[in-house]
Amino acid sequence: MDDSVAYLILAAVVFSIGAVGLMVRRNPLVMFMCVELMLNAVNLTFVSFGDDLGDLGGQLSVFFVLVVAAAEVVVGLAIIVAIMRRRPRATADDLSALRG
Amino acid sequence: MLDLLAQLPQATFDRPPIDWHALAPELVLLGFGVLVTLVDIVFLERGRAMVSALAGVGLLATVVPLLTLWNEVDTASPRVLFDGAYVVDRYSLVMKIVFVLVGYVVILLSTNYIAEGDYWESEYYGLLLSSIMGMVVMASARDLISIFVALELLSIPAYLLAAWRKRDPRGNEAGIKYYLMGVFASAVMLYGMSLLYGVTGSTLLTDIAVAVADAPQFDAAIALGIVFVVVGFAFKISAVPFHHWAPDTYEGAPTPVAGFLAVASKAAGFVALMNLVFVAFPDRHDVYQPLIWVMAVLSMTVGNLLALRQTNMVRLLAYSGVAQTGFMLAPLTVAGDPGVSDLALSTTVNYLAIYAAMNLGAFAVVIALARKTGSAEIDDLKGAFQYAPGLTVAMTVFLFSLAGIPPIGGWFAKFNVFRSLAGAETTWAYILAVIVAVNSVIALYYYASVARKMWADEAPDGNLAPVHVPPSLVAALAITVAVTLVFGFFPGTVGDFTDVSLLASP
Amino acid sequence: MSDFLRTYLVVAIFGGLGVMLVGVFVMLGAALRPNHPTAERRLTYESGVDATGDMWSQSNIRYYVFALLFVMFDVEAVFIFPWATRLEAYGTFGLVEMAIFIFILVLGLAYAWRKGVLRWI
Repeated sequence: MDDSVAYLILAAVVFSIGAVGLMVRRNPLVMFMCVELMLNAVNLTFVSFGDDLGDLGGQLSVFFVLVVAAAEVVVGLAIIVAIMRRRPRATADDLSALRG
Repeated sequence: MLDLLAQLPQATFDRPPIDWHALAPELVLLGFGVLVTLVDIVFLERGRAMVSALAGVGLLATVVPLLTLWNEVDTASPRVLFDGAYVVDRYSLVMKIVFVLVGYVVILLSTNYIAEGDYWESEYYGLLLSSIMGMVVMASARDLISIFVALELLSIPAYLLAAWRKRDPRGNEAGIKYYLMGVFASAVMLYGMSLLYGVTGSTLLTDIAVAVADAPQFDAAIALGIVFVVVGFAFKISAVPFHHWAPDTYEGAPTPVAGFLAVASKAAGFVALMNLVFVAFPDRHDVYQPLIWVMAVLSMTVGNLLALRQTNMVRLLAYSGVAQTGFMLAPLTVAGDPGVSDLALSTTVNYLAIYAAMNLGAFAVVIALARKTGSAEIDDLKGAFQYAPGLTVAMTVFLFSLAGIPPIGGWFAKFNVFRSLAGAETTWAYILAVIVAVNSVIALYYYASVARKMWADEAPDGNLAPVHVPPSLVAALAITVAVTLVFGFFPGTVGDFTDVSLLASP
Repeated sequence: MSDFLRTYLVVAIFGGLGVMLVGVFVMLGAALRPNHPTAERRLTYESGVDATGDMWSQSNIRYYVFALLFVMFDVEAVFIFPWATRLEAYGTFGLVEMAIFIFILVLGLAYAWRKGVLRWI
């Protein structure tokens, strides 16, 4: 498993950056990019494990993650645009019409 | 000259056998989903009137193949498709029927609500159908990839439904909160899945079960994988500490959608969790049991305490839903005990079915009363008995059922929780049983206080005009009241129905 | 020449043909079309937007729907490529499967078209 350890560590680091970014940043668009970082870290993990194991399953999973992530991106951007049309430069903190 | 390409393995392709009967429910749903979209494309505005009926018929039509399958499939002989990635057994059929019926009731709730708003209708029902299809697929998914695809198929339409009132800032907020939380959760879950795949070399749950059982006791990658996957679904079922989105999203989303998220989406999360816990890592209860134990205790305690101080009925239902998640998680903490694992599974399935009926019913009453009062504040429900006695009685049934008062449905569900916890005979299970009991008493307080306000207080402004309840809402209320009462008065029949097992699965 | 290099020869020939084809068409177009240069025509053309003002000007909101549609359909193609490489092996079964997949995609496109999303302005 030695060859892929570097990739796995990289994936873990990218995933953590995404997760921390999502919690720290307040701009919905940036939060959204952080989610993409996390998903790509997952893809990297899948690919390097798949290569290690000599199994196509890892590569196959990436296809599904990729496509579903695209669908998520489209829906997310649509929601963000709906918000920005009403209130330009909104941040997640400005969204406080509700009590939570 | 294509020698290099020729060296690649050219395995011959065999057409996979497809069990059409086992896939019939999904195909019927897909067909009606396509039909709803086609009607919208062809007729545009003129098609509006037929879409909700079409979607309702589609869901009822899905019940037919589910029932014929029920006769053919028994616990000993599940139908296995796609090398074990998709399994149709009694457990998955029960959950599919629950999802489809919940979907039908949600359509009944939505018919007037959506038609009277100025938002699009055809899209609403199309998205609802595809979300329900994701749930139906989830019930059978026994592979990490199919679980993931099913999860997204049910979540992505739900994000749009939550943000349905797009010109209302509260609707926007509901959508973006649910969306960001949801994608974060699925990213965490995916990372867990990639770790599990890396350690076990397979995405098939049954293969994973074999691999993790053989693994050394303290394998960090396996533990991390299991924790991440469970945490990912904890968002979906709104378990504390991953519940923050629930009250805001329920309040900002259209109320029928809030009911849908509170019931169907939560049940789908539980189904995925049960597939994983019972099929993929039954032998690693050392990892998941403590995690689920802590989430169960936190969910019921925090959910109940926060519910005590709510002034809005939808938010109260959201926090009570968080507490109910805790009750439903409780049996899973003893899932690893071979003596009670079957009982734990059927207890959770049972609770999910009863919870679906009583919670949707409560949302139905809120929707009906909001037609008069225009709000979901608890104080506006005061004196409802004076002008809407039928709705008040129905609400009382639902609230007492949620509180677990015999002999209504919720009581039977809670009784089973105690039975499976006591059956495990461990100290931790006994402690949990005591915590469940204490929390049931706290919950009774706020459920009863809503009921008291509806029965005993004076209506605000002395406005006693009757509420006009459209026929579709009456139907929804009749279904939910009937199911809630039947579950309580005839627990035997229901017990047989939900007596399911995942242990016999291949 | 080794087999390996010969495989790359095919790539080079195809690449050369591609470049040649584009060059021929551009020259053919230049030879055939009338040529009346005016000041307006020499302006930089960018999707119907006047090339004036700041570099950081905000782009029109209308682009975003097209961008979203593009992302969607672009990524779905990832399923078509592996299928295309083994087209013969999959036979009729694969063809029907892909037809269903593309039908559902086209349904989405038809929906967008009927709702007027594809109309410019």
